Amino acid sequence: MIRPRPVARLGELRLLVWVAAFTLAGYVAVVAAASGRFAWYEIVVPIAVLAIFGALHLFLASIGFRGDQLLLPISVGLTGIGFILVERLAPGLLLQQLSWLVIAAGAFCVTILIPRDLSVLARYKYTWALLGVVLLVSPLLPVVGREINGASIWVGVAGVVQFEPWEFVKIALVIFFAAYLEEYREVLSTPPRRLGPIPVPPIPYLLPIVGMWLVAMLVMVFEKDLGATLLFFGIFLAMLYLATGEPFYVVIGLLMLVAGGFVAYHAFAHVAARVDVWLAPFNSDLRFDQAYQLTQGLFSLANAGLLGAGLGNGMPEQIPVVWSDFVFDAFTEEVGFVGALALLAFYLVFVYRGMLIALRAPTTFLQLLAAGLSFIVAFQTLVIVAGNAKLIPLTGITLPFVAYGGSSLVTNFMLAAVLLRVSDITARVRR
Amino acid sequence: MEITFAVILWAVRIAFLVLLYLFLIRAFRALHRSLSDEHIAVTARQVGLAALVVIRSHAGGPRVGERLPLRAVSSVGRDAGNDVVLNDEAASTKHAIVSFADGDWWLEDAGSTNGTLLNGSRIWDKERFHYGDEVAVGRIALRLERAQ
Repeated sequence: MIRPRPVARLGELRLLVWVAAFTLAGYVAVVAAASGRFAWYEIVVPIAVLAIFGALHLFLASIGFRGDQLLLPISVGLTGIGFILVERLAPGLLLQQLSWLVIAAGAFCVTILIPRDLSVLARYKYTWALLGVVLLVSPLLPVVGREINGASIWVGVAGVVQFEPWEFVKIALVIFFAAYLEEYREVLSTPPRRLGPIPVPPIPYLLPIVGMWLVAMLVMVFEKDLGATLLFFGIFLAMLYLATGEPFYVVIGLLMLVAGGFVAYHAFAHVAARVDVWLAPFNSDLRFDQAYQLTQGLFSLANAGLLGAGLGNGMPEQIPVVWSDFVFDAFTEEVGFVGALALLAFYLVFVYRGMLIALRAPTTFLQLLAAGLSFIVAFQTLVIVAGNAKLIPLTGITLPFVAYGGSSLVTNFMLAAVLLRVSDITARVRR
Repeated sequence: MEITFAVILWAVRIAFLVLLYLFLIRAFRALHRSLSDEHIAVTARQVGLAALVVIRSHAGGPRVGERLPLRAVSSVGRDAGNDVVLNDEAASTKHAIVSFADGDWWLEDAGSTNGTLLNGSRIWDKERFHYGDEVAVGRIALRLERAQ
């Protein structure tokens, strides 16, 4: 193996300095507001977090990585905001989240180094599909499955460790979709017959759509996870559209989703409950019962105003499970509209950058892969922020990089690493 | 003492928001810079170093007036893999080479069946190709022009 020559990644380094600055400022504000004084030994944890960020930068520079220089600062910037919020909302979980960050950083480096050639991923597409399905149904298995907060989306060994397999499933599925659509997109995008403006592909080509729809519906019904259903089917439709350029598939997919949702609303109590809570959270039967979390979140948002209550000065702890489900409301309450806008801008930059990486990628597989991964981040952000703001029914999706959660953090770092790998390949091909 | 603490705390809170935006401004600037770099790269690819302008063609060939960008070494021929594709039955799969060397453009026949005409006369060697010169392949004629 040729010894890699280190490169300077100055753009990345400069941005990381700003990440360090705002992470420290936010953390200090939160700690000082809670304890009533400034104690310098308190900043050990954020310094450790920032050291890990710096180590990732040095790692990329030392292996001569030539990929994007904006994605890492944006990702770790969001992670920094996440640590501020964990300290604010659940200080007891801070060290746990720090150890997850170490694992996430390790997963990031491993993803950067292996696989040497990303296109190899495409060759094992049915392995990825199988892995995805196994992980997807694993929470339903008797020994390892756990039901937490009404959603059977957890796998764990009692009391030792538990994780949400769904988080890993999304990446496996995007790899599978990208490889599958690369192979079949010509067949799918040139339907032989047309009925007016509507293309009529032969039945076999519609099977994957129907299959994905069935799996999505099963997840909704058996794992009681609306978010996973939306994300799963959303990714599939978006990637299908990207690959074929045929809006018809999206329309038919959305119609099937709406139809399935309608039937599920009438047939399953837990689906109906989510929708009822969304439609009328202040209903006297729901206000202090099922809708409690959502209404507390709405009060939290209402308390925000333009500049917010000030970090550490609001009352987001009044929202149940705020650190994983309602971080957006908590953050907004304390930093106001101005801060919330900044947070959304972070995601905007991430997704825009991801889509640019996709546009420039040299092969169809890499393009679809990068676009699908960016879409995950975009879609998750939209679904959870809209859920927190009562624009759509609330789902258990996490806010990428920011919300407390180990499996989510590890997966998001791996996702960013794959995007970086695609941009690195592009940089090397173009030279 | 109490008041100073509150003031400093608010200063830190506001500093957090300001830093957040300073970071974002730099991130957006980096995004913008790479986008305009991309624009320049794309334009360079479309404009080329020079262009062959179509001055005579036929129904199946390139449109008259169309500018076909040239690279430092461009292949001309009927095959779609060429840099300049000429859809004419008299054109060979790989017909001619246009290259830039020693500050000049050069035209060379690549062993075509029906030959390449430079300003009306068939070429046998690598010929100097001046701006304004016309090259004819089959029923298609092209003029070398500077990049715009």
